[in-house]
Amino acid sequence: MELVAAGLLAFFAIGYFVLGGADIGLGMLLPFLGRTPAERRLVITGIAPVFLGNEVWLVATAGVLVGAFPDLEGKLLTDQFPAVVALLLGWVARDAGLWMRHQIERRTWQGLCDTAITLGSWTAALAWGWVFSSLLVGTANPIIGVAIALLFAVHGLAFAALRLSGPLRERAAWLSGPLTEFRAFLLTAAVMTLLCLAIGFRLPLVDSAADPATLRLLVPVLTVITPVLVLAQVWLWRLFRHRVERPMYL
Amino acid sequence: METLDLARLQFALTAGAHFLFVALTLGLATVVAVLQTRATFSPTPTRTRMTRFWGQLYVTNYAMGIVTGLVMEFQFGLSWSGLTHFAGNVFGASLAMETLVAFFIESTFLGLWIFGWDRLNRWAHLAAIWVVTLTAYASAYWILVSNGFLQNPVGYEVVGDSLRLTDVGAVLGNPNTIMAFWHVLTGALVTAGFFLAGVSAYHLLRRTRDTEFFTGSLRIGVFTGAPALLASAITGGIQLGELATTQPMKPKLLGGNTGQLAQVNAELVERFGPGDYLPPADWARAGGLVMLITFGILFNLGWFSVLMAFSKRVVRRFRLWHLTLVLAIPLPFIAMISGWIYREVGRQPWVVYGLLRTSDAVSPVSAGEMRASLIAFTVLFGLLIVINTILLARQAKRGPDAVALGRPAAEYHPAPLPTATY
Repeated sequence: MELVAAGLLAFFAIGYFVLGGADIGLGMLLPFLGRTPAERRLVITGIAPVFLGNEVWLVATAGVLVGAFPDLEGKLLTDQFPAVVALLLGWVARDAGLWMRHQIERRTWQGLCDTAITLGSWTAALAWGWVFSSLLVGTANPIIGVAIALLFAVHGLAFAALRLSGPLRERAAWLSGPLTEFRAFLLTAAVMTLLCLAIGFRLPLVDSAADPATLRLLVPVLTVITPVLVLAQVWLWRLFRHRVERPMYL
Repeated sequence: METLDLARLQFALTAGAHFLFVALTLGLATVVAVLQTRATFSPTPTRTRMTRFWGQLYVTNYAMGIVTGLVMEFQFGLSWSGLTHFAGNVFGASLAMETLVAFFIESTFLGLWIFGWDRLNRWAHLAAIWVVTLTAYASAYWILVSNGFLQNPVGYEVVGDSLRLTDVGAVLGNPNTIMAFWHVLTGALVTAGFFLAGVSAYHLLRRTRDTEFFTGSLRIGVFTGAPALLASAITGGIQLGELATTQPMKPKLLGGNTGQLAQVNAELVERFGPGDYLPPADWARAGGLVMLITFGILFNLGWFSVLMAFSKRVVRRFRLWHLTLVLAIPLPFIAMISGWIYREVGRQPWVVYGLLRTSDAVSPVSAGEMRASLIAFTVLFGLLIVINTILLARQAKRGPDAVALGRPAAEYHPAPLPTATY
């Protein structure tokens, strides 16, 4: 049971860092990818229909963590208190910027929201770097932390090359080199996945699992519901799989 | 202030901010789903416009509910690791169910609904808003399973320094949970009903265009809000009745004098051992009284409005009533938040009633860290509440013609960028 729970935790965590991580990376590069307010709106449209469905993978990760590994959840978050607070502040600022930008068509307002999206994304990525470096080497390490934040940016760039079109797509593809856009994205996604697994294997998951009576009820339900969640996400991605050519709501 | 007080203040502000957004979202989702059902089965231009107009206000508000909710979810581990350690086996599982069985689906389908307006066929699009609405209810239920357990722990045994789940049926069917669920749901419908009525009344008062649109919307709001008020009174009353046995101090806080409170305290000392079991009485009492007074005003206004709303002529012309309805928009929010303060402050000093004190649940975090995060979250949430209110008011004032939600793709400006030449 503990192993199945750990598998579910890994599944949702990897889902978040591949999908939600790409949105954060794209947000970090918003001023680079979009040079005018209209271009930036198109860049945002690249993630608009999916970012809500992408960030929810982290909510699910936290849910599995508190349900199946409650002790570890408390210990991890308390140990990483300032980094998690920074992550939340960045995340909220980015989301608020994304949701509110289109509502007032004034340059100053859009500039403010673009700033919130970019700085919020950088804050979130650096906070993840902070958390991950502490988990990897024991203490917060600025070099590893910044390297991980840059990984988010590169992953976001690869994602943007798949989502955008025209000159925006060209801008996003400058790092891909000889790789096709899709292969470049697979590569960054694989690095994200490996990073998650490296950290997962360092966590004392089996030792801090919830009581067997709880797991016996919780794990089967979560295992059955997970394919349903994946199907819903597949539907979302199929519907919005096309490259972005004109703005949508947001 | 010590870490404990700072952590409590931080949780109260986060949960309170979240609850204010949820109050409107949960009710408005229901209204929008019903409006869209009508517009799908027998479409008229007004019905479609109603779905888009109220739908956009719903989405704007929902977004703020999400971001405050994210912070909520992480607060348990950040500030209250003693709670997850002690009660995680019971309390954590329902939080997990909330995220996977409810919120994950809700978020995915909300994306489908917002952006799939002209991409999904209309039946699939209608199904999407119902999935969003029903999973929002499920979400409220699971959160109240957690909260109900903290208020009235059932289905557990104490093993060492933590709890073990023994009876899942008792936890899921906890009377405290069930009644609170219906109470929150009906309160949300009151909030949404008065929101519809108030915004519509503003347009009728200002004699803007779309008289038919807002006459209809005002009546929907009134006919939703008034019955929901009655249902919220019933579910609230049943909860108060149950408190006599489960949390005897709480009902006494409303009207009891110092002697009666001391007497209940003596009974609780017999039950739980020596200690002071009196919650911060001023806060709890103020919360309870403000809730009851606001409810009284709303109840009278609600049923008066039902009488008025039967005549379309009155709905169009009765300006003093319009003004009253506009001024009443904040009242359900006040009632919701003060009722919540009464519920949560009134159970102190316990975080898990009778089992774990709030002071024993706080994380080992320094006062400086807690203070810094408190200031940061307070500033951010304060800003978001102000901006959200301004944006909602702005969208509400501009009326149905300015709605962006569900706008056909071809109407978007600027025109698409030129295709790249490779």
